[in-house]
Amino acid sequence: MIISVENLVKKYGDYTALDGLNFTVEHGDIFGFLGPNGAGKTTTIRILTAIIKADSGNVLIEGHNVFKEPLEVKKINNALPESNGYYEWMTAREYLGFFANLYGEKTSKQDIYELLEVVGLHGKEEHLIRSFSRGMKQRLGIARALVNKPKLLFLDEPTNGLDPKGRRDIHDLLINLNRKHGTTIFLSTHLLDDVERLCNRIAIINYGKIVRAGELDRMKGKGTIEDIFFLSTKEGTL
Amino acid sequence: MKKLILVLSMIFLTIIAYYTSASAASRIAVSINPPFIQANMGDKITYVGTITNNSDRAVNNIIAYISLVNVTPGKEAPLDLEDWSANKAIKVDTIPPRGTYEGQWPMRLIDSGSYVAYITVVDKNDNTPLSSDMSHLEIKRILRLNPNNVLPVAIGEPVFIGMVFMVIAFRRRKRVK
Amino acid sequence: MKTAYIMQKEIRESILTPKGFLWYIITSMILSALSYLFLTNSELSLLDQGQMLYRIMNFITALGVLMGLVFGADAFAGEIERGTLEALFLSPVDKGEIALGKLGAVLTNWGIIFAISLPYLFVVGKGEQNLLIGIAYLAILGTFLAIIFSAFSMGLSARIKSMKNSLIISFFVFLLAGAPIFLSAAQRSTWFGRILDFINPFAGAINTFDSVVIDSQGFSYQAWRVAIICGYLLLSLWFLKRSVSRLEM
Repeated sequence: MIISVENLVKKYGDYTALDGLNFTVEHGDIFGFLGPNGAGKTTTIRILTAIIKADSGNVLIEGHNVFKEPLEVKKINNALPESNGYYEWMTAREYLGFFANLYGEKTSKQDIYELLEVVGLHGKEEHLIRSFSRGMKQRLGIARALVNKPKLLFLDEPTNGLDPKGRRDIHDLLINLNRKHGTTIFLSTHLLDDVERLCNRIAIINYGKIVRAGELDRMKGKGTIEDIFFLSTKEGTL
Repeated sequence: MKKLILVLSMIFLTIIAYYTSASAASRIAVSINPPFIQANMGDKITYVGTITNNSDRAVNNIIAYISLVNVTPGKEAPLDLEDWSANKAIKVDTIPPRGTYEGQWPMRLIDSGSYVAYITVVDKNDNTPLSSDMSHLEIKRILRLNPNNVLPVAIGEPVFIGMVFMVIAFRRRKRVK
Repeated sequence: MKTAYIMQKEIRESILTPKGFLWYIITSMILSALSYLFLTNSELSLLDQGQMLYRIMNFITALGVLMGLVFGADAFAGEIERGTLEALFLSPVDKGEIALGKLGAVLTNWGIIFAISLPYLFVVGKGEQNLLIGIAYLAILGTFLAIIFSAFSMGLSARIKSMKNSLIISFFVFLLAGAPIFLSAAQRSTWFGRILDFINPFAGAINTFDSVVIDSQGFSYQAWRVAIICGYLLLSLWFLKRSVSRLEM
């Protein structure tokens, strides 16, 4: 397995965001991480990407302990946060070049151009980011998340605010990444359509706990994904 | 007889009083030189004060100081000499009988205008300070347009920085879309 | 190396911009006006050259400190508010390296201000015997003060996470540090004024400039003031390190 989470607890003062979280993710999964607003999805991703620390618990990413080897973990994964800001004064090429340098990746101009082509931003290399639409910025964010060719990619609401074509393009990109390059994708979203189209395994989180997890096809046998989601997250389920 | 003694005593006392008070005034004399100076702002000048002991007894522990008064029309006022002169007061320990003392008061001319300068001598044994005649001082303002070659820097540097910025901005604008 | 990339990004973001250059043009225009006023034949010009040099050195130091505080306030709080800090934290760069890169940019800014001021110092101090030693003290103490105040401001920025509030507190600190300038000579000689002078690194620097440039005193007279400034330097860097290590999204 690529991700192993055991008894993860995170508190913010009196508020418990994660209350003994347990789940695993296998290599090559497109793993859907679902939950209502405030369930703990973003907190989970931030802990797994070693941005914040947990109060207790164990997290292994590709065998590396996230709390003891944060830099090693960051080298092999990458993420597109939900609210990702950009250095709008940079061009797309400068932006990717900057992050490639931080990851220690020796990327030529050509490598960056190819990366931008993968995400559908061909021809926009020397354009200022401030001239990009929301969808273009989202693609650029994904390009940044791919700059270190990560084994594990975390995406927090990647299709938020995109039009249907934009969403479809992102879907195709992710499927391509997963099938061609073997990238494991951890997709946090509350858009059930995205889950249905992309994911092979899911976990549903509510009030900081996993309420349901498993292979999507097997779970769908008991109803639609919507039924599963609403049943799992209604009040009193825990 | 009694009347005669009274009159003689009065005359005698008057003579003593006169002699005592007159001796203060006539014991010391003070003068200032030069009597007239014309100079420019920023110039350095020196006043010389001569204190003469006209008496047959030594004069001790006297203080001499210089005063400057602005007499420019509309600006009449005595001056605070803090920026003009470092040593305003001189203490003289003793001047021998019939002797003289020369004190120097160097000054830097801070502001333009018309002034009078005089030296005052104070003897704590006397009731009356004694001042010299006034020396007239005319200070001219001179406009220096480029002192220390400041203009090339004062004008050139902001222009240079602006030009550097324009070159950087132009090169970036050429490259990005 | 990663520190260098961060520093380069910061320099391009804050210094090589129209806003950044505007600061420098305004700085040089103020220095031009001050130098010209000092040197032309007005009442001001009858200041001793040492005095002129001293006053310009104080202005340059104050400007370096002020810009350090402003840059510092934006360092972390600004990135959080713009949403760009998370991507930085995702990359395999130590938080300390990020802080160091940003500090490097602040020092670059100070270096530019210092370079801009050099021609003015040479023109105003031409012939003054303490010109070169004065410039050396300005370079060293100005750098120390830029680090002290910007490290403090950056640490505050990391803790408060609000640029507006960081900036308000930083300006307040700037006023406190500059308080000796507003006190009269008589007030500065009171017990309160002396304590303020003693504990204030900015006052320490300007008193050192006074001692070196105007009174021509040697290093032994400045040693204890320089030691206090060095103490503040270590304290501010420690504060920055601690603040940044605790910073979480």
